[in-house]
Order: sequence, then C-alpha cells, then structure tokens
Amino acid sequence: MDKAGARREEILERLEAEGGVTPESVARIALETGVPEADVWGAGRFYSLIREPGRRVRVCTGLSCRLAGATHRIEELERSGEPREEVSCIGQCDRAPAALDPDLELIPGTGTASSVLPDDPALPVNLGGADPAGYEALAKAQAAGPESVLGIIEASGLQGRGGAGFPAHVKWRAVAGQAERSRYVVCNADEGEPGTFKDREIMERRPHLLLEGLAVAAATIAASEIIIYIRGEFRDAKRSLETALKEAAGHLEPFDIRFANGHGAYICGEETALLESLEGKRGMPRLKPPFPTENGFRGKPTLIHNVETAACVPFIIHHGGERFRDLGRTGAGTKLYCVSGHVNRPGVYELPLGVALDELVETAGGYTGSPMAFSPGGASSGFLPMSLRGLPLDFRSLDREGSMLGSAGVVVLNDTVDLVAAADWQTRFFDDESCGQCAPCRIGARFLRNACGRFRTDGDPDALLHVEDVGWEMEEGSICGLGMVAAKPLTSAMKHFPDAFRRQR
Amino acid sequence: MSDRFTITLDGRNCPATSGETVLDVAGREGVSIPTLCHDPRLDPAGACRTCLVEVAGERRMQPACAFRVRPGMEVTTGSERIARHRKVLYGLYLADHRLDGSGLPSENGSVNRLREQAARSGALVLPPVNAPRSGRPGDSNPYIRFDPDLCILCARCTRYCDEVEAVSAITLTERGAATTIGTIGDSGLLDTSCELCGGCIDTCPTGAMTEKKSYGIRHEEMEQVRSTCNFCGVGCQVDLKVHNGRVVKVASPPPGETVNDGNLCVKGRFAYDFIHHEERLRYPMIRGRDGELHRASWDEAIRKTTEGLLAVKEKHGADALGFVSSSRCTGEENYLMQKLSRAAFGTNNCHQCAAT
Ligand SMILES: Cc1cc2nc3c(=O)[nH]c(=O)nc-3n(C[C@H](O)[C@H](O)[C@H](O)COP(=O)(O)O)c2cc1C
Ligand code: SF4
Ligand code: SF4
Ligand code: SF4
Ligand code: FES
Repeated sequence: MDKAGARREEILERLEAEGGVTPESVARIALETGVPEADVWGAGRFYSLIREPGRRVRVCTGLSCRLAGATHRIEELERSGEPREEVSCIGQCDRAPAALDPDLELIPGTGTASSVLPDDPALPVNLGGADPAGYEALAKAQAAGPESVLGIIEASGLQGRGGAGFPAHVKWRAVAGQAERSRYVVCNADEGEPGTFKDREIMERRPHLLLEGLAVAAATIAASEIIIYIRGEFRDAKRSLETALKEAAGHLEPFDIRFANGHGAYICGEETALLESLEGKRGMPRLKPPFPTENGFRGKPTLIHNVETAACVPFIIHHGGERFRDLGRTGAGTKLYCVSGHVNRPGVYELPLGVALDELVETAGGYTGSPMAFSPGGASSGFLPMSLRGLPLDFRSLDREGSMLGSAGVVVLNDTVDLVAAADWQTRFFDDESCGQCAPCRIGARFLRNACGRFRTDGDPDALLHVEDVGWEMEEGSICGLGMVAAKPLTSAMKHFPDAFRRQR
Repeated sequence: MSDRFTITLDGRNCPATSGETVLDVAGREGVSIPTLCHDPRLDPAGACRTCLVEVAGERRMQPACAFRVRPGMEVTTGSERIARHRKVLYGLYLADHRLDGSGLPSENGSVNRLREQAARSGALVLPPVNAPRSGRPGDSNPYIRFDPDLCILCARCTRYCDEVEAVSAITLTERGAATTIGTIGDSGLLDTSCELCGGCIDTCPTGAMTEKKSYGIRHEEMEQVRSTCNFCGVGCQVDLKVHNGRVVKVASPPPGETVNDGNLCVKGRFAYDFIHHEERLRYPMIRGRDGELHRASWDEAIRKTTEGLLAVKEKHGADALGFVSSSRCTGEENYLMQKLSRAAFGTNNCHQCAAT
C-alpha cells in the first residue's frame, strides 16, 4: 500500500531515467516516492525498456520486417558479435527491415522510404498537406458549444480508429454526462500493433492536427487536462509533437497538455492497461465494466482516443459531419491504411473506408510477386486468403469473416512465404506481449507458441491437436482483446491454408 | 436506482441488493460457482476466470466474483458454453502446473483447490507448457516457502499483502508466461518489509505459498482443533493442525467466521514451537534449600506462594505487594488476577503488561 501522498505516477519515468530496474534504483525511488519497494520492482519488471535497458541494437522481428529479411539481419549481427536484442514490431514496417540504435533512434531498412498520398485538402487527415498552427476548428467548436459539437460528431459517424471501431460520439456523450467534474482526455499514441504505423506518420507530419482534435474533444467534454501516451520507441514523433506544442502555445492555453512515455509493452495500447501504466503500475488491463468513460485515469471519467480518431476531428468541425461520413464507402470517412509486406511502395494511404485490397495495393504501387495471403488489420486480424481480396476493408465486413480491420495494418504475403513460419512469428509476438494476468491468455499463448514451434520443427500435425479448443477458450475466457485474438494468426492460417499444416516430411 | 431488487439465477428469482456481485447472490442462494482468485477480503481481480457465467445481454461471459448485479439481470451458471470453457481452462491450468501420478495437480501437503475443481471439470489433457516461472530458492526465511510450479498467478497473496496487511512485501513480477511472485531484487522475505504474518499462505488456493516447517505433511493426515491464540488479549481464533499428536501447523479459520477474519500475526501463526519444546515447563517447581528447582504438586506450589505473599503483607503491609499479569493471559485470567490482588490481598497494585 502506498504511503499517504505517494507519487506513484512518477516511478516508471524515474526507473527509465535511472537506467532500469536494479535493487538500488528501486530502493531509492521507493524511498523518494513513498511507493512500496516491491511495487516499484514489479512495475518496472513489466516493461521491456526498463527491465532490459542497455545499449544495444534492437532488431524488429515483426512480420513485415521478417518478410524483408530481419532474420538475416539478426544472423549478421550475431556473427559480428554486436550486442543485439530481438524485439516486437517497432512500427516501422514501411522501412523494413528496421532496427533501433542503442539510443532508440531508428535505423531504417535498406528498402523504400515510406510513402503517403500527395497533398489533397479533400482528405480529412491529408498526411501530404501542410500542418499550419491555425486552430480554427478549435475556435469554431468553442463558439458552437458542446451540444452542437456532439451533434456534428454523431452525424460524422466517426468510429474509433484504434481497433474496435466504437462510435466516437457515444464515448464523448458518456463522459460529458458524468456528474464528476474532473475529467481527462487521453490520447492513445502507443501504436504497437504489428503492421501499423499510421499514428507515427500523423504525429510526425500533422502534429497540430492531432493537438487540435484533442483540444476540441477536451473543450467539448469539459476536460482541462490532456495526456498523450506515446510509444517509447517513437522518438521522432515525440519531438515533432513537442515542437508543435510550443508553436501552438496561445491556442492551447486553456488546456494542460502533457506527454507520458510508453516503456516497451504492446499491451499498454489497450486502453485500460494504458491507464494503469499512466498511474505507475504494471500494464495489466482492468475489468470492463466499468469503462474508462466512467472510471478512467485516477478513477475519473476519461475519454481515450486513438491518434487517428482525434486527427479526424478538425476536418469534421470545419466541413460538417455529413461531409466526413460521405467520404467513406462501406463505413464513415476515410481511413489511413498502413500497407507493408510484399507491395511496391509500402506506406500509409488515406482512402475511403471500405476500399478493397486490390485497389489499396494498387495505390501502394502494386503487389510484388504473386500474392498468397494478407492480414487486413495487424497481427490481431490473422491471415486471409486471396480469395477474400474483394472484401471491403471496413470494421463490419472483416468482423463477419472472423477477422478484423483493427488498426488497418495491412500486410501482404506473396507465395514465397512459409505461412507456418508467418503464423509462428505472430503467435510468438502475442506470447511475448501477454501481460500474464489471466490464465487463458498467459497459458494459452505459450501453449500455441509451443505447438506451432513443434510443428515447424517436426512437421507432425499432432503438435497442433487442441489448438482450436485453446483458441476458442482464449477468445471466450480472456480478460482483454489481446488474449481474445492471440490465437487468430494460427487458427486462421490453419483454416484458410490447410495444406500448409498437413504432415511434412 | 432502487437498492433491493430481484435477479434471476438459473431461472430462479433471487433477491439482490445493488453493489453485490453475482457471486454474493449465488453464495446466499446456495448456487455453487467455482472460484480461485476470489477472497472476500480483497477487491475482486477477476483474473482466474474460473467463475465465468453467462449474463443475458452480455456478449462475453462475465466473472461472477466481480460482476455487479442489476435489476432484472438474468444469470446462467451452467451451460454447454460454460462447461467447455471450464474444460479447456482447467486443461490450461494443468498444463502449467506440477501434477502427480494421477495427472491431477500435486499437493505439497496443503490443500490444492485446483485439484478438486479440475477433476470435476473433466479437464482437457494438454502437453505441459513449461512456463519459465521462477521462484526464490535462496530465500532463507524460516517460515514461508514459494513453489512456483504450483502457482496459478491468482495474485491473492500479493493483494492480501497489500490490501489487508498494507505491507506490500511481495509483488507480481515479470510478464506473460514468466510472470511470478517476487520481491525487490528477488531478496529473501527477511530482507523485505515482510512481517511474516503468513496471511499469504492462508489465502493461497493451491499451496504454492506454504509453510516450511510442515512442508510435505499431508493435510488429510492432520486433525484440526479450533483454539484461541494465547499470545495476546485480542483472542484470535486459530485452527491447530495436529499430526501424530503434535501441533505441526497453525492456520486461521476462514475469513468472516471469527474475530480475526482470517488473519493472524507472526506469533500466532508460527510461534508454536513452545508447545512441544523440551524445555517447556510442564509442572510447578519449587526452589529448595539446596538452591535447585524440584518438582512439586500444584497444592504445594500454591501453598508456598501464599505463605510467601502473606508474610510480605504481614511485615510491610498489602501495598508492598504488586500483581502483574502476562499479556498472554486471557481476559478471564486477567480478571481473576486483579480479583486476587484487590479482594484476597487488599492492594490496588495490579497491572497487565499489555496495558501500557
Ligand atoms: C491488445 C490491444 C492493443 C491495443 N493497442 C492499441 C494501440 O496501440 N493504439 C490504439 O489507439 N488503440 C489500441 N487498442 C485499442 C484501445 O484499447 C482503445 O480501444 C482505443 O485506444 C480507443 O480509441 P478509439 O475509440 O479512438 O479507437 C488496443 C487494444 C487492445 C486490446
Ligand atoms: S488477455 Fe492476455 S493481455 Fe489481456 S489481461 Fe489477459 S493475460 Fe493480460
Ligand atoms: S507473510 Fe504477510 S507480510 Fe509477509 S509477504 Fe506474506 S502476507 Fe506479506
Ligand atoms: S502463490 Fe498462491 S496466492 Fe500467490 S499467486 Fe500463486 S497461487 Fe495465488
Ligand atoms: S474467482 Fe472470479 S475470476 Fe477468479
């Protein structure tokens, strides 16, 4: 139990500043903050960047980087004897095979540079456009008043872009309607879903757009504090936002805006794990209900939005909800699709929500080689066969196929790929990133990892016995979305590509 | 919202009060739902997932231990879905647990609640997952042992240490399959804030957190005797575990049953060695003229004491006497002591050592 007045929210930042978890650093921080030693220790040991700090190259082992030769790169480093660590996807799939240098700065792959569409003011996010610090939408929203803004957001049909596609206006109204007056806006900039790198591009190219969207939300729900929880590995994005915040100063006066760093835990992208992390705890998701709109940061009503969701807001305020809604095809608005893997120009493309794969890939310069499978929404969406290439890439259609649009991290795999290996990489990712709180996910993810690994080495399909049962239980019994989808890569691959899982040798 | 309402539990109308959980109502109605991470003294964690039930209108199964009742709520505690869930869930637990020859969870002496629950569920048989979960084999504290391969990570021990004892000596540490119960720097409990209350042992559902001194003595071979702790005047109730006529372990009665609500302190729980100690005084002794102590009968001893005290009173007056009783005496004994002082010898010089 904390001492009265303990400053728990500081401990993770302090641990990182002190160079990681050691008995000495923990004892000192515990003494200075009033948080029990064991709690500081246990929290610190949860986060990769605090648990395993140190100067070495961190090589991405995400699917797109694997496809681009990460395995080879790891072997090279191994031979050179340079200290290195294999890490989960670092959100640079368009620059694969990517790595981070010992200062966590990006070492891009040798391939193409990231690509976005050219400036087009008709696009709500418009990554290729200028990013002026005008804040006219904020002024307009403040003049219109909360009720009117809520109506506009509702009319826009804006759905959360963090993965679940939940209607934004429902959350805004839920927070606005709370009796409790102290409220928070939290921006989820912890982008970590393998195959996803759109939030990174928004923060680097359109930081003012994001800040403005968050400010509109805060003004509407009467929150004065905005916290941006930003992935620890995103050094460039954070610098960009910091600069923008200085430039914006006057416009954002009424809001207290601050950054919090991620410390190396994919699960902290899950909104309640993120809140725990903000409060200086292990990033273990909370039970829902209660939802953050009622019981969020510090137990207060909290509106949490993904970077892209917030970045859509200024356009909606400027041009009205209907205009945004009508930009979509099978869902409302445009969507930033991240395309990587076997395509010619990996990058982030803003297209109507509901575009199909072929059109998307055409925008990205076409397929390289002959496509065999694709993941429409990051690791969590599993693998789909090319026979489903005509599906609208939206929240509903993919859900119906047992997949998901998620964060729209689209990865294309051509027929040179060993699908069993691909399923194995993704399965390992979830096992590495499970918080370990609930048994279905903690044990299930390890079971799947072992099963898939064994099949990969022995080629004996008996290794895959019970995968379906375990996958079912993970989906049904887990606490959070990670466990619910962690079996998807393997079960979807087995379902759609049964030949790859027959007895080998 | 109205305070009292009804919900249906497996089709039966049951009274409920807002703020209650499904498990609260089920417990009162005699509907049994398996639990592992639940301890009524702790905030629900909803982590073990054994208590999942179906709630009409909820897409996902919900933890009965944490899910709050609402007026008119319809809860189902048994269905094909729930049965499949339990079968696979217990299968996973078993794949992550030390098993005995029968393929069921091992017992290191203490009761392992997973054992009986898993047997009942027809747990799916899965290959062991070999999670890299470590313990603290170097911990030299004399009382508490942690067996990581019996741990199900229900976090009852850590939550107890935090929420009830307010000590926070132990913590969940690491992540994913490697998650375990740890301390700062993996140090032994004696080098932490641990007060050796042993509450973590009592709350642990599997015996992963267990007592070193009685390790391996099977719980079925222990007889249980309810008694009162004699270390202080609080009067905590204890369950003495007796094996071959010797007390080998002291446990707390379950929470909610006795004044100590499932808790004990280091003395009540672990300081029972005196019971069978060879130097324990078992009969009165009187020091003879030879300067040595000699065994005596109670009559002799009491007579000798009375004579001595009366002689002092006669020579120096009653206030030359003082009576001090031990903090280990019960309330009744303390009462008798002051009665002796005031009524029998006529002095108010009486005191109890725990009174200051
Ligand atoms: C395992 C897991 C990881 C997630 N990671 C992210 C993430 O990196 N970024 C994000 O915005 N949302 C992520 N989410 C979704 C958030 O929980 C939450 O729904 C979202 O931030 C809400 O914002 P939105 O309504 O704008 O989408 C994740 C969810 C889960 C279950
Ligand atoms: S599903 Fe996995 S990540 Fe989510 S709470 Fe459970 S163990 Fe943690
Ligand atoms: S013995 Fe008591 S104080 Fe020590 S770790 Fe266990 S619960 Fe905490
Ligand atoms: S030691 Fe026991 S109480 Fe603690 S987490 Fe493990 S099983 Fe639960
Ligand atoms: S007893 Fe409800 S989840 Fe453990």
